[in-house]
Amino acid sequence: MAKVAKPSAESAATGTSRRWAMVVDLDRCTGCQACVVACHAENNIPIVGEEQAGYGRWMHWIIIQRYWEGEYPNVKARFMPVMCQQCTQAPCEPVCPVFATYHSPEGLNAQIYNRCIGTRYCGNACPYKVRTFNWFRPEFPEPLPEQLNPDVSVRSRGIIEKCTFCVQRIRRAELDAAATGLTLADGEIQPACVQTCPPSALFFGDLNDPDSRVSQLARSHRSFRLLEDLGTGPAVIYLKGGETNV
Amino acid sequence: MAHRVSRRGFLKIAAGASVVAGLSPTVRRVALEPFVRPPEEELPGRATWYASTCRQCPAGCGVIVRVINGRARKIEGNPSHPLNRGKLCARGQAGLQVLYNPDRLQNAVRQTGGRGSRRFEPVQWAEATDQLASALKGVGGKARVGFLGGSVPTHLRLLVTRFLEALGSPGPVLFDLHSVLEGGAEAHALADRWFGSADKPIYDIGHAEVIFSFGANFLETWLSPVSQSYDYGTMRQGQSGGRGFLVQFEPRLSMTAASADQWIPVPPGTEGLVALGLGRIIVEENLGRVGSHREHAQLYRDVSVGAVAEASGLSVDRLQKLARAFADADRSVALPGGYLSGFTNASQSMDAVMALNVIMRRLGREGGVFLPHTIPAEAFINPDLPSPFRDFEKLIQKMRDGQVDVLMVHGANPVYELPRWAGFADALTNVPLVVSFSPFINETAAQADLILPDHTYLEGWGFEVCSPGGDRPVVSSQQPAVRPLYDTRSTADVLLKLASSLGGAVSQALPWPDEVAYLEEASAQLLGSSIGVFDARTPAGFWSRWRQLGGWWSTKPIRQEPVARGLPQGPLQVPAASFAGQPNLFPFTLLPYESIALSDGRGADQHWLQETPDPMTTACWNTWVELNPATAAQLGVTDDDIVRVVSTHNALEAPVVVFPGIRPDVVAIPTGQGHQDYGRFAAGRGSNVMDLIAPVVEREAAVLAWGGTRVRVEAVHRSTKLARLESLDGKGRETLR
Repeated sequence: MAKVAKPSAESAATGTSRRWAMVVDLDRCTGCQACVVACHAENNIPIVGEEQAGYGRWMHWIIIQRYWEGEYPNVKARFMPVMCQQCTQAPCEPVCPVFATYHSPEGLNAQIYNRCIGTRYCGNACPYKVRTFNWFRPEFPEPLPEQLNPDVSVRSRGIIEKCTFCVQRIRRAELDAAATGLTLADGEIQPACVQTCPPSALFFGDLNDPDSRVSQLARSHRSFRLLEDLGTGPAVIYLKGGETNV
Repeated sequence: MAHRVSRRGFLKIAAGASVVAGLSPTVRRVALEPFVRPPEEELPGRATWYASTCRQCPAGCGVIVRVINGRARKIEGNPSHPLNRGKLCARGQAGLQVLYNPDRLQNAVRQTGGRGSRRFEPVQWAEATDQLASALKGVGGKARVGFLGGSVPTHLRLLVTRFLEALGSPGPVLFDLHSVLEGGAEAHALADRWFGSADKPIYDIGHAEVIFSFGANFLETWLSPVSQSYDYGTMRQGQSGGRGFLVQFEPRLSMTAASADQWIPVPPGTEGLVALGLGRIIVEENLGRVGSHREHAQLYRDVSVGAVAEASGLSVDRLQKLARAFADADRSVALPGGYLSGFTNASQSMDAVMALNVIMRRLGREGGVFLPHTIPAEAFINPDLPSPFRDFEKLIQKMRDGQVDVLMVHGANPVYELPRWAGFADALTNVPLVVSFSPFINETAAQADLILPDHTYLEGWGFEVCSPGGDRPVVSSQQPAVRPLYDTRSTADVLLKLASSLGGAVSQALPWPDEVAYLEEASAQLLGSSIGVFDARTPAGFWSRWRQLGGWWSTKPIRQEPVARGLPQGPLQVPAASFAGQPNLFPFTLLPYESIALSDGRGADQHWLQETPDPMTTACWNTWVELNPATAAQLGVTDDDIVRVVSTHNALEAPVVVFPGIRPDVVAIPTGQGHQDYGRFAAGRGSNVMDLIAPVVEREAAVLAWGGTRVRVEAVHRSTKLARLESLDGKGRETLR
């Protein structure tokens, strides 16, 4: 069952009691990597090149982990998209000496880039290994800087970064809704990965709204969360894949 | 003596003056004129979206491009487009890097140091087109003009065909590696044999209950992967009747096979035979709820299930179970995939698969096989299909014999895509003038005399008749999302310019002043159609809706029921595939597969795609050799060890990926790397698997049997570090609780 966070004093002040959450349906996921490239494009994520990628210094905010089960010929490959789990009790938050990691009223683990001094404590504390570090100054040979999304800052060397649930899209939708006086409809906000996912394996919405699509899916008998016993309370809910036997 | 003004006095005067100025009735308001004017629709900081068409593969998905201050910033799927329904694949998402590629050609160039020298000199457009026009005027016979196209957008294909027809020259030869690997020409031939249709069949994956895929990697690169992936999602979780049953028959666990419920690694080239065996069991045991199979008995007269079992390595019992699963379902469909087209028995294999759909009466049924409804306007009838390899061979022969004076190349890169024995690069030396329209210096453009760079797709106009178009007729329109970055020119405009300077029949056949005038006229043909999703009172109104929505399609799904023109004459047979190389010298079959990120190599210049991990191996930035763990152990190699893969024609070296999902007698290598040119992100990286392919050509349909090469693998006792997402410590077998 979805753990419903109580609205904090802060969230009451900002007039919001949302808990943004994502549902990953592993039965639909095909492992196609469309979300990975969409995330790079939306969030100005640097490319590190062959050598650094070989050292494991790639900077994807979302990765498709691939697990093998069994041996040839009865071998299975399972795909698991993993991005920041936006934990309710986030292990990355208390370890930051400069308060660069921060828990937003809407439950997001935010990273304040210009506070970050690059201790990488948060990256070490994260049990999901979803935080990436800028070992080098990102390079965008001309005219590739034209591709950069003006809504997202370009991080410099020495900074930790990670998935934000495309907070810039959330903010824009909220501001537009506030300006027009309309309420946000469920599914109106789509992070880049959710928007592009060809088999519609990803869903995004407010877990505090019991009628939202993510709340409905979170109540599925197939739902589970990664490393649930750590008590981190992830806001990413996975739905188990299946197998049809004939 | 100066009159000194005290501070108090000054303030008094100033206050008085400002009051007077404030009362002044003639305050002029003059707008400031900036030196650079932004586009009219632009508001600083606000995004404008333009609908267009993705050109990263020939599927023709609709896109919307987010433009801020005149610059394209993000590409998304067009949510109202019936093909991709708001979704895009990794390649589609990376389209910005085609536009903003740092190694694009910025103007027309002439190669001055001789072909292959890669010394280019800028040339004025007028001068370049004049050179081409005078060359076309001076050819010694109209048959001496050649046009080689790759994945050319439909509108340009139609224009080129008209142009060549009016010139009296043979039609364009369309050939590119992607359509070879997806079996494009073979899929058309199949539809023609069975249904007399020029269009590829559509398989209704979204509503199928049981899918038997014979080498169809429909979630990766085959036909229309985004549309098919969407339907796959529906099949798994969107239907009320359960999660579907997908069986994949192919020697390597592709990403599609990984999503299947059963992966059945049959020996390469026996996939069609398995389909034949399943059909025989269905007919023999009268399975399914479709009435009598008596009329089909003739088809399977010569099939022995025992022989099929022996050749495929599947037990008769397993074949029977599979046949029952297929026949007992209400909505089953069999897909003849691109891998089948890589063997000498391609057409017979694909026939055997299609026969399963026919005997189970899956034609025109929900979750079965359909044909697309034609676009109800003459301007969109698309006569040019991917050319069979035979046509391309003929062109090469003509070039070699010095019978081609001018060769124009658009969207094709055969110097890279074909093995050297095909002789394209050598034949090119006998052509006096080679003109490329590539926006990049690729391997073929490096052998051209003149490069007249086309716009990239986010800067250009056009349309694509989507084939397959999902569940309805779709024309996807393309329009510039941004102004051209450089001094490039649309190839359609170059052709129209050529036509007017050549005069006579050619200028009559291509009377339009420019590309946009042609597109406007073509789109107007759909005005007043009763099935369209929109209509307008005037052609101008229609043209504006056409651009706004990103094309034209029908409101409701419309598909055609295929009518089998009569079953194939005589009993079905699938002969054994031929392979190049003695099994004792070359013990492995080479399986070249299309990379999901780099496609047939055209994505290698985009570093987002280079760093995208391959879904199955998680490797990137390089070429690798996939070996079964038993094979690797036998050769004494492991992950990251370099091996030499030798075919009868060539050899390459690449690091090993120990891959549990491949037959021990098969070696798989992805396509896409091994470029000599094509910009900083592509050049000098990895090896090109197509170099290994031996000349095995199916005689009847003259299809390049790219799957029929046998190789041997030698350890070279060196190793490297292959960049990959996963750590080798756990071999991908760690468990997340």
